[in-house]
Amino acid sequence: MDHFPGTHWGKPRNDNIDAYGTYPLHAHQPRTDAFADGVQRTQQPVVTGASVLALKYKDGIMMAADNLASYGSLARFKDIQRASGDMADFQQLKHILDTLLIEQFVQDDGHKFGPTEIYEYLSRLMYGRRSKMDPLWNSLLVGGFKDGKSFLGYVDLLGTTYSAPTLRNWVWRYIAQPLLRKSVEGREDTLTEEEAVKILEGCMKVLFYRDARSLNKYQIAAVTEKGIWISDSRSVETEWAFAEGIRGYGAQTQ
Amino acid sequence: MNSGYDLSSSTYSPDGRIFQVEYANKAVENSGTAIGLRVKDGVVLALEKLVHSKLLVPGTNRRIQTVDRHIGIATAGLLADGRHLASRAFDESLNYRETYRSEPPLSAIAERLGLYVQAYTLYSSVRPFGISAILGAVDKDGPALYVVEPSGIYYGYNGAAVGKGRQLAKTELEKLKLSELTTREAVFEAARIMHLVHDDSKDKEFELELSWIGAETNGLHLPVPKDLFEEADKKGRDALDADMED
Amino acid sequence: MSPISQPTSVAFNPYAENGGTILAIAGLDFAVVAGDTRQSEGYSIQTRYAPKVFRLTDKATLAVNGFAADGNIFVKTVKQRLEWYRHAHAKDMPLRAIARLIQTMLYAKRFFPYYVYNILGGIEEDGSGAVYSFDPVGSYEREACRAAGAASSLIQPFLDNQIYFKNQVAVSGTSHPKHLPILDVLSLVTDSFTSATERHIEVGDGLEIYVIVASGRSLTELSSIAGIEEVTGSASATDRVFVIRRELKKD
Repeated sequence: MDHFPGTHWGKPRNDNIDAYGTYPLHAHQPRTDAFADGVQRTQQPVVTGASVLALKYKDGIMMAADNLASYGSLARFKDIQRASGDMADFQQLKHILDTLLIEQFVQDDGHKFGPTEIYEYLSRLMYGRRSKMDPLWNSLLVGGFKDGKSFLGYVDLLGTTYSAPTLRNWVWRYIAQPLLRKSVEGREDTLTEEEAVKILEGCMKVLFYRDARSLNKYQIAAVTEKGIWISDSRSVETEWAFAEGIRGYGAQTQ
Repeated sequence: MNSGYDLSSSTYSPDGRIFQVEYANKAVENSGTAIGLRVKDGVVLALEKLVHSKLLVPGTNRRIQTVDRHIGIATAGLLADGRHLASRAFDESLNYRETYRSEPPLSAIAERLGLYVQAYTLYSSVRPFGISAILGAVDKDGPALYVVEPSGIYYGYNGAAVGKGRQLAKTELEKLKLSELTTREAVFEAARIMHLVHDDSKDKEFELELSWIGAETNGLHLPVPKDLFEEADKKGRDALDADMED
Repeated sequence: MSPISQPTSVAFNPYAENGGTILAIAGLDFAVVAGDTRQSEGYSIQTRYAPKVFRLTDKATLAVNGFAADGNIFVKTVKQRLEWYRHAHAKDMPLRAIARLIQTMLYAKRFFPYYVYNILGGIEEDGSGAVYSFDPVGSYEREACRAAGAASSLIQPFLDNQIYFKNQVAVSGTSHPKHLPILDVLSLVTDSFTSATERHIEVGDGLEIYVIVASGRSLTELSSIAGIEEVTGSASATDRVFVIRRELKKD
């Protein structure tokens, strides 16, 4: 028995180290894991989640994501994150971030994390995990609005970070990014909400036509001074009749 | 007088009492009153913080603390012990989330705190906690209210009162139809009771602390907003004055 | 054929190559450190504006190039160490000490290196302009000029010819100058980047040129430069830092 507060008193018991609470902490030998050599870290993602597009406009930032895989969104205060990649890693990420936000909530000292603080935290987290050769297999877009300024940032499983007026992830970069850049670059401060929605809808339409992995169902979210707004699932009108006239591909008989 | 049986909480007296625990209860009895109301759609915590110096900045050294998004704690007794227990409750709440990946129900946190507080009644090397803690939450089973005492014992309540004015407060709480009150109504009752139990002639001045958890706070444990606080505080004070005139 | 079967899956690769190019040139009493602002991976441009040159103190700027995640973290860590130095000694760390600090920090990760090429430029304690260049694991030397990154193989030979006068023979009875005037240096920098932008797909979008000027040096030449901006940190600084921003082609 440990009669002295300060070793394990005041800390929740950790079953991984001392399942029966029998020894004072200083008397512990860390247990070596007999299976340590067999432990594998994520080498490739198991489930891939949604793909995401984001852009800056006059009042803040706007994102679009398809509903192909079930994925979570994080909405706390005035910022949101969308992610794609391994769903389990994403849930772990969500849990870590949630813990951080609870820590801040109970502090009750009037400080609140803005999008830039959340982004910095996530970047450090992602880089820290890649440096342990145990990456969280996701790419994240963090968008938010605070003190009259909009923010849009990207971070991936390597800890690579960057900001830009328009962002997207995975295969969408080849298709959607040129479209987005063409309509947004240099107009971030004048684009209206209607125009922004139109641009994203246009991108979603092209993506659905050209990217076999995306689904004709998606959501749009906006972050402005007023807070977060997330649309219901919507779809784009598509026209496939022209396919009849195409010759030279596939299994036509004539 | 107690023939040395009160020197350690690891020693029983011949009639089976642990005096150190009883002394801890004395520390609670001498402190400002804290109450909790479990009502129809939420929980209200109220606390009489006795201000021992005019030099203190109003609003600092809060004695009602937040444990998790949906859990609050009000302690009567030694302030430092209250801080430590709240911090422990927070650790337990995170630990529960780490294990079960869900919001902890208040019963789980009360049980863990009960075990923790009880451990400090077993050894000669430590003293028991000099606090009684009122825990309030709205969890998956609805509103919940618990009190953890220095002995480590804990009970669930509809209305709870600890500290100096607990007797009068309990009498007042018993008169209320707690299960029919809304959280907003309970804020007013809580403020009224706190003013009622405060003894102006004997006690120092006090600062009222009010917090609530309910539909109006989106299930979060938050201090009662300024305008509502002032309204409830004033009404409580006026009710007391009207009482005196009778 | 080996009887032992080879692993079929490729392990997680913790590195990426994010393109871009940096260069620095030391003058007699000034230094110029420049980098483009494009960040790319493969054929995709991630962003058109990701700075690669950073002001560390009022006498030192650092350019980083290679794996952007490592580079950004490395710069943040160097800045933190410089702040600690300031708190301990109530002055900025001298340039040659920063150079040694960087070598120590890089070598500390010898077996999991920061995949970055660093070029440090600034003013030494004796008032001379200086450039230090590093390899990813900390080998370093003081030089008059250095180019690193994607287009280093295009720019370095150009600088060798124009700064060190390699393959040039001085007119008999004269000798090559040891140091070039500041406006000549800035022209070389601009030409280096516009040329690299033409011939290398990972270079372009924007150019940031930091100029660190030793105390006492005349600023008249600099004042003629369009859009130049002073970014000196402290009002009492004797050495001064300026930045010149230019557009590069975006294709």
